[in-house]
Amino acid sequence: MNSHLPVSAVITSAEALTKNTTLFTLLTDRNSAVAAAFLPGQFLQLSLPGVGEIPISYCGYLSADGSIELCISHVGRVSTALKSAVPGASAGVRGPFGNGFPLSMYTGKDLLLIAGGLGMAPLRSLLLALRAERHRYGRVTLLYGAREAGALLFLDELREMKKCGAIELRLAVDRIESDSEPLPDCRIALLPALMDQLEVDPARTCAAICGPPVVYPYLVAGAHTLGVADERIHLSLERRMKCGIGRCGHCAVGGYLCCVDGPVFSYAELAGIEGALG
Amino acid sequence: MAATFIATHNLEILLDHLRQHGDLYGPVRGDDGAVRFAPLLPGTAPDLAALRTLLPAKKYLLHPCETILNFTADAGYQLPIEVVSPSILFGLHPCDLAGISYLDQLFLGDEPDPLYAARRSSLTLIGISCTPDDYCTCYRTPSPLAAQSDLFLQSVDGGFVVTSGSPRGDELVESVKNILVECDLSVPEDTRRFFCAPLSQRHLPETDETDPEWQELADGCLGCGACSVCCPTCACFDVLEFGGLDDVSALRVRRWDNCLFKSHSQVAGGVSFCKDRAERFRYRYRHKYRGFGALEGVPACVGCGRCRVVCPAGLDLRPLAERLDGGAP
Repeated sequence: MNSHLPVSAVITSAEALTKNTTLFTLLTDRNSAVAAAFLPGQFLQLSLPGVGEIPISYCGYLSADGSIELCISHVGRVSTALKSAVPGASAGVRGPFGNGFPLSMYTGKDLLLIAGGLGMAPLRSLLLALRAERHRYGRVTLLYGAREAGALLFLDELREMKKCGAIELRLAVDRIESDSEPLPDCRIALLPALMDQLEVDPARTCAAICGPPVVYPYLVAGAHTLGVADERIHLSLERRMKCGIGRCGHCAVGGYLCCVDGPVFSYAELAGIEGALG
Repeated sequence: MAATFIATHNLEILLDHLRQHGDLYGPVRGDDGAVRFAPLLPGTAPDLAALRTLLPAKKYLLHPCETILNFTADAGYQLPIEVVSPSILFGLHPCDLAGISYLDQLFLGDEPDPLYAARRSSLTLIGISCTPDDYCTCYRTPSPLAAQSDLFLQSVDGGFVVTSGSPRGDELVESVKNILVECDLSVPEDTRRFFCAPLSQRHLPETDETDPEWQELADGCLGCGACSVCCPTCACFDVLEFGGLDDVSALRVRRWDNCLFKSHSQVAGGVSFCKDRAERFRYRYRHKYRGFGALEGVPACVGCGRCRVVCPAGLDLRPLAERLDGGAP
């Protein structure tokens, strides 16, 4: 793989998940590492010609045909331009970059996945990987919170996983919109509240957390209350990763570079580093 | 000791010879009084008395702004094809050489940066000895970075002792033999001895962010970023893309970025991971004195003193860094 050169990709579908979030499917060379050799939690650099390049976490899992799923919220310059991208539009992809979630550590363990808002995107990749080899893992519990019901992503898919017994699911929204349908399986609460009265076996539980930095301290505190050790609490960090290969200097977290040593870190690595959790 | 000597009056002949090997650059004092690395055209004498150029030699390896990718609808993204001509940098001080050594480690690692690698391989480095002034700190904290050059000129009475540091240097010595004299000379130590020091393995604690001196530095800082622009080892770059007027082509450029700027750590949606200036100072300190990523543990400061010279507010991060790190390693 040439880490400096984007591989051509074509957007094959763009499915609006919420008002401002789209699930894109891109098709690229199925033999390229960017499509064929990534781990959940890793990211790629997505190029929109003439506009720019942004780091995006994988949202799907390995496919046979070289398709890549990316869940993108339209908040920045490139991601806003992507809002009008239609199937057939050309793009570029470089990667995979970073380390990803430690699947080998997760083997035989219970998994506690905690997603806040768009943090569901990389954790969906992890969920799909766990589901692909479900027998290798113990209990899988997903706690997922969003601002409002309309912002909950992949709800049908998650409920389906719950229905077939693959995962346990707890949902929360900060507030309820007046025009939204009632969600019987969803609490009105902040995400950390979903950890209340959760029963886990701390000795065999690993926590994988992805969400806005503002909730990280509360989620880590919650994991501590459950008795999960720092080494088994993993958080995915967001930084301004321009190059992806440890050169541009934007993404240092203490002595680590988020793009190479992360973006997934154990809390044991991050504890005590100023600004690590945002 | 046995030494190879070139008399000062033969220096112009050496420079003329070097010009035949490639584009020659060296320290030149401009009409504005500032010394810059600039083309050493015939008749232009290098300013060998000047201790530091305005910008370090990094500008030749990592251009302030350069195209890194071209996009066309037919070919997709392509690496630029750049014809790199042989170049010679003359008059680099040991700290300048150590700075290049740092950039080499950063850009020539596992996946060499194509542009940097092409330029670096066609670059000949010729160092020269110096006498540190009050702004220099090379002698305070020995650096693990190598002050490695193809040729090195060490100032002695009436000329310079010439030593080669590479096969390319050997060839150059061979080719200018007629102006070199083998003789016995007493050769004083030069500032290269402050470099290539064994890397200390000491464990430094996480930076104490409550230390009031951070805020004192931040309060005095104007946020101009000059300290980073002129630093031989500051290599942060931003990446930008520009669409062509034809709407089907584009070019992607990288340009020097600056950790003293708020935008340096800002992500989509306006979230910044170094919100205030004191935090940005600590980010800078981490890079300059402790290192991160593959270069963690390698202090990036080569002691050239440029940041102290250019700071319009007269700030100096080094005393705090030395205190935090418990003095010299």
